[in-house]
Amino acid sequence: MQVADKSTLDGIPDYSVEPSVVLKSPSFHDITETIVKPIESPPSMKWLIALAISMALFSVEIIGWGVSFYYGTGMWGNNIPVAWAFPIVNFVFWVGIGHAGTLISAILFLFRQKWRNGIARFAEAMTIFAVMCAGLFPLFHTGRPWLPLYLMPYPNKHAVWVNFLSPLVWDVFAVSTYFTVSLFFWYTGLVPDFATLRDRTLGKDLISKVKKTAYSVLSLGWRFSNRHWRHYERVYLILAGLSTPLVLSVHTIVSFDFAVSGLPGWHTTIFPPYFVAGAIFSGFAMVVTVLVFIRYIFDMQHIITLDTLEKMNKIILLTGTLVGYAYGMEFFIAWYSGNLVEQFVFINRAFGPYAWAYWIMISCNVISPQMFWFRKLRRSVPIMFVASIFVNIGMWFERYVITVTSLTRDFLPSSWGWYNPTFTDFSLLFGSFGMFFTLTLLFVKFMPLVAIAELKSVTDQAKPTHHHGGDH
Amino acid sequence: MNLHQKAKPVYWQSLDELNNDLSALEAKHHEFKAGVTDEFDINEMSGISRRRFLAAMGASAAFALASCKNYVGKRKNGEIYTYNEHPVDVVIGRPNYYASTIRSRGGVRSALIKAREGRPVHITPNKAHPTDAFSLNSHYQAQIMGLYDPARLQTPQKSGSDTPWATADGEIIQALQAAASQNQQIAVMAPAVYSPTTAKALGDFKKQYPTTQIYAHALHAEATRIRAWEKSHGGNLPTIHWDKADVILALESDFLGVEAPVGAEYGFASRRDVMTDKTFNRLYVAEGNLTATGMKSDYRLRVRPDAQMEFVMALANALQTQGVSLPAGLAGKVSGFTLEAFAQQHGLSTMVLNHLVSDLARANGKSLIYAGQRASESLHILVNAINDALGANALYNAELAHVQQVPFATPQEVNGLIQDMASGKVAVLVHWNTNPVYELASLKYGDALAKVPVSVSFTTELNETAKASTYALPMHHDLESWGDAVSHAGVYTLQQPVIAPLHKSRQPEGVMLAWAQGDSAQYSEKLYYNYLKKAWQEGIYRQTNALVDFNGFWQSALHNGFVKVKAAGSVNPFKGNALSAIQADKSGSEYVLSLHYAYATLDGEFASSGWLQEIPHPVSKVVWDNYAAMSLGTAKALGVKTDDLVTVEVNGQSVTLPVLQQPGMAEKVIAVEIGYGRTVAGDIGSNVGVDVMPLLQLSSHDMWFAQANVAKASGSHHLVTTQNHHAFDVEIEQDLHYKRGIIHEANYLEYLQNPKVATMPTHPSVNITKVHEYEGIKWGMTIDANKCTGCNACVMACNIENNIPVVGPDQVDRGREMHWMRIDRYYSGTPEEPKVTQQVMLCQHCDNAPCEVVCPVNATNHSPDGLNQMAYNRCVGTRYCSNNCPYKVRRFNFFDYRDRFAAGRYHKELAQLVHNPEVTVRSRGVMEKCTFCVQRIMWARQEAIREKRNLKGTDVTVACQDVCPSQAISFGDSNDPNSDIAKQRKHATNYRVLQELNARPAVTYVATLRNTHEKV
Repeated sequence: MQVADKSTLDGIPDYSVEPSVVLKSPSFHDITETIVKPIESPPSMKWLIALAISMALFSVEIIGWGVSFYYGTGMWGNNIPVAWAFPIVNFVFWVGIGHAGTLISAILFLFRQKWRNGIARFAEAMTIFAVMCAGLFPLFHTGRPWLPLYLMPYPNKHAVWVNFLSPLVWDVFAVSTYFTVSLFFWYTGLVPDFATLRDRTLGKDLISKVKKTAYSVLSLGWRFSNRHWRHYERVYLILAGLSTPLVLSVHTIVSFDFAVSGLPGWHTTIFPPYFVAGAIFSGFAMVVTVLVFIRYIFDMQHIITLDTLEKMNKIILLTGTLVGYAYGMEFFIAWYSGNLVEQFVFINRAFGPYAWAYWIMISCNVISPQMFWFRKLRRSVPIMFVASIFVNIGMWFERYVITVTSLTRDFLPSSWGWYNPTFTDFSLLFGSFGMFFTLTLLFVKFMPLVAIAELKSVTDQAKPTHHHGGDH
Repeated sequence: MNLHQKAKPVYWQSLDELNNDLSALEAKHHEFKAGVTDEFDINEMSGISRRRFLAAMGASAAFALASCKNYVGKRKNGEIYTYNEHPVDVVIGRPNYYASTIRSRGGVRSALIKAREGRPVHITPNKAHPTDAFSLNSHYQAQIMGLYDPARLQTPQKSGSDTPWATADGEIIQALQAAASQNQQIAVMAPAVYSPTTAKALGDFKKQYPTTQIYAHALHAEATRIRAWEKSHGGNLPTIHWDKADVILALESDFLGVEAPVGAEYGFASRRDVMTDKTFNRLYVAEGNLTATGMKSDYRLRVRPDAQMEFVMALANALQTQGVSLPAGLAGKVSGFTLEAFAQQHGLSTMVLNHLVSDLARANGKSLIYAGQRASESLHILVNAINDALGANALYNAELAHVQQVPFATPQEVNGLIQDMASGKVAVLVHWNTNPVYELASLKYGDALAKVPVSVSFTTELNETAKASTYALPMHHDLESWGDAVSHAGVYTLQQPVIAPLHKSRQPEGVMLAWAQGDSAQYSEKLYYNYLKKAWQEGIYRQTNALVDFNGFWQSALHNGFVKVKAAGSVNPFKGNALSAIQADKSGSEYVLSLHYAYATLDGEFASSGWLQEIPHPVSKVVWDNYAAMSLGTAKALGVKTDDLVTVEVNGQSVTLPVLQQPGMAEKVIAVEIGYGRTVAGDIGSNVGVDVMPLLQLSSHDMWFAQANVAKASGSHHLVTTQNHHAFDVEIEQDLHYKRGIIHEANYLEYLQNPKVATMPTHPSVNITKVHEYEGIKWGMTIDANKCTGCNACVMACNIENNIPVVGPDQVDRGREMHWMRIDRYYSGTPEEPKVTQQVMLCQHCDNAPCEVVCPVNATNHSPDGLNQMAYNRCVGTRYCSNNCPYKVRRFNFFDYRDRFAAGRYHKELAQLVHNPEVTVRSRGVMEKCTFCVQRIMWARQEAIREKRNLKGTDVTVACQDVCPSQAISFGDSNDPNSDIAKQRKHATNYRVLQELNARPAVTYVATLRNTHEKV
């Protein structure tokens, strides 16, 4: 405990010891109390205002979808040649956001990164919500959104099968698998915590009864028995193992939507690793953006510590630099390949009519994370908040640059075009944030946003070496 | 087009007909039997004529389909008719073809009308016709929509309110009789009259009302050329053997574009064919604006239009030095003009001028100078004189001379009429399908019309003149009319109705004959029909000395659509005194306003056609607008850019127009298209573009004005284009069409030495999978870039055949035009002297189609005969196929355009009758593209199976190929070594666009060859 304090307080890090994941050495009970407090206390005015704003934005999205559904995809700025635009950009963006959750909960779990325990639950929830936001876009993006069944390989009397050569079919499988596994993973982790909530809900009023029933159903009869814990740990490990390849596969396959086509600017072998790095980059940035608020609002600075955030920032720095490398490599390969069309596309990206988007992307994605080389900046909450927002702006523009600029100017100069987003396009983009934050706010109100049991396992108390202070 | 025609030149539907049983033939061709009426009354269905019945049947079936939800209810109400007795010549599902005639105000074309179940759906060229086989341009094709246009005038109107025919007729007859008895003038304003029988009927009318004056007036017509010919040679204006000319100099002439004299494109293109041994012709164009003809030229001289006289004078002088002996009157006049001075003044290349002079002089009578339709009479006479000196008389085809049934009124005569109208001397004025209130706005025709006590307008659609007239009388559409035409001497073309009148319209000739008899009750649908038949019996039938009786003759004429009589003709020698009035004026240096016929609307006649409004301008690719085109330098001097507004003032009249910076224009030339800014042209044509008719000075003969004031105006107007041109000064964007293997181009003379020079060496294509071998038929297409003039006839034919919707300017601006075919235009070189290349682009039906692999639902896939197919009802609309298409030829239904455009106009009951029943009307949210007219392939296959034979590649022609005036498109079986396209594929100039992608397109192109002295 003293070690941990020393490492954080006097400003000179002692790298010889691992800092504590949870500060102030709270008791198990304190941890439970802190985490369930938002759930058990009546909704605060701040939360209600935040929810109202988010739901207002969400309703904008719902109206946007309604209008698109009723009148047609023509309500957007899409055209020929730019047949894919905002909706696909938003889809890739949100799928990318989702990557942080699985990476944190699955890969870091397998690598026994204990610092993940403070943020894993929230990151997982974010994954689910981000994939839900993302999933709406390809579903309603088609010209005839009432026919999604055609994308499923089901036996039918026409004997028509889906085209397994098409990356869009792979996409359907990849995203739906990803969503399903993430949902199970998240829910498995929630079961013991639901049981805790069930046991703590003792009121006799109607609301408490409803709550108790709901938590009882959701906790699947969990009784904290040793046998339950044994099964739980096994299932969690297996799901972590299953999720790990998905972290890589989903964005790889999303990148195939572009890389498998023949369009210059899309037809690039670097896309899979580049997209995965970008996805982790944006996902972590999103987690940082939201956690900075949450740890403050819910007094969880000692649970979601500055050390944890710093670690996240390091990953942002790493992935941001990887993405920057990919940007450079695309140019190199375009030149090295000797392919005139490819060369044109990249020069056009950087210096053509959409250069503004390209340079927004470069400055946000490559330049802004570079400040995380400095420990002071890495540990500064305002700086990381701003930087993480920049990163997400940059990552949205990355997808915009790839999708739109490549399509506007392809092989035949005669069919070059231009893209102007419409009001509906913007309503869907901003509305999807409304949906995301609505779901997030509901989540933090009704479910424990930190895994109670998991967190307890990494406190000082849980360590075998722990001695109970002077009094014990 | 006509599938039967190749196999069976004469088709028949019964043995009686085959054996020429006249009564059967009679039944086939719309005869009005006793007791049969065309007046439609639901209570008297028994006496209804077949044609009327078919119209009702076809219409009702379509109405019913339009509202399936009410189907049962409608049937109960008796609104659906089935065949009570099967008509002799209609087999459900089989099209019938009728030869007829389609007119515009300035021209006439024989055509074959395709009808399905009694409903005309497509106007196709009459391939047997001696002159019109390859001249059915987009305007004539688009007339099919005119038939079903909901904006048609449906009942007679008096001062805007519906009136029965009997009332209107009675009042008009009264007015006519009063005018005749009081010796007051009765005037008839007609367009170009090609019909001898119409002229005869007008003559009969005049006999009854002797104070009648007939004025034939059409803006888009050869009136000036005809008058000039009368002065310089006399006699009928001959047509031109375009295929025999080795060197052509076009002066402000768009003969391959908007002027398109009959046969010009076909004749010209026949001398640009790498598959024949004929040498290429060489085209010089001297023009101020950049036109379709200018884009096609081998050498182009940027000459401001008002300098044309001076240029021709200087050219004549230079030709004289090359040994060409000019007519006596000319030699003296030209001495003051030299090409050197002219070249210096106008910044022309002396090298090109030297080539021009020597080419013209050395062509041994195979060289021709051709002045444009818009040129003044003086310029035409001057050109005629030089042609005479060059020996170009051999290129004149006097046997197919232009004939006028009613001579065009001179500008003085038209002016006189307007003065008479204004001073109240004209008692009755009849407008016969003309729109002078709009066309003669500069002469204040509308104000004069208000002074005429009784004015009448025969019209199909309410226009400015009809609205301003006392009576607006609905006339039959061409497809509802009887008639005839003599387009060229000795070529008599018949017009027969293909559908009964849809509205309460009447045949104007019949109405006027009834007026002449002083009794409106005399009118019947038979009146003019009998008159026409009698006129033919007494006239043409006797001339032909036919061996058959008249009925046989008539039936055969109706079947073929024409009768050809050998017409003698000769070209008179040039009359030297014609030159006496020629002024040798020097050109100015101020702004010159050059007015042009619009590619879309000609002179405004076609403004109400959405199809034509949406066809991209061949040069600028602008749709739904006119504009002030000017060179980049001129725009800079005026301080304007594209979409800014300028005010152009001529003779005290001014208009404000948006600017378009047009490469290739002469400096200080402002080119504007007429035919826009109509105020009464239905819901589609009204208020599209800017009306510049007030600037048009009819009296000055030509359509350019040397002293225009041009100034920047405030505001802007966005011009919508389907293709933007790249920046000339950005190196990376220059000449991409050459660098990327889109256009292959070479010099013709080099090509003669090495035929492979045009097709650049490409990287060898490597297939990692086995190349699929097609057994049996493999459909393919070749497009000859040397023949294509970019006239858009193919685009229009494709639109009509394949039910392609009009989307409107806002959607075109968003990049959502639905055309399956487009004509790409590429500039290279400098903005001042651009080299322009055009390319027809459509689905390439790639064997390794990039679109097919990415479709998640298998909605687009490959047929065993090499078609890239679309299954519309499987398509969910991911649009991935379009992204992956390197040619970007796929089109997406972002909306239900039929519902969205013009308040659901094309969902309206009448308008949707225009749809081709053989092609699916696509719903919202599906992708579509060229199908190689798969419905025609399937039809031909079905016929082959029925006839128990194998399908051949020659059994099918596609819609674009059918109408192509220069026959640049070939379609067929590329596996058949004897097919045209297999032969073209083997030719050294054949290439595939973006060959290196190895998509293996089924469409190949013939490389562009430029016939210049220098290498390109």
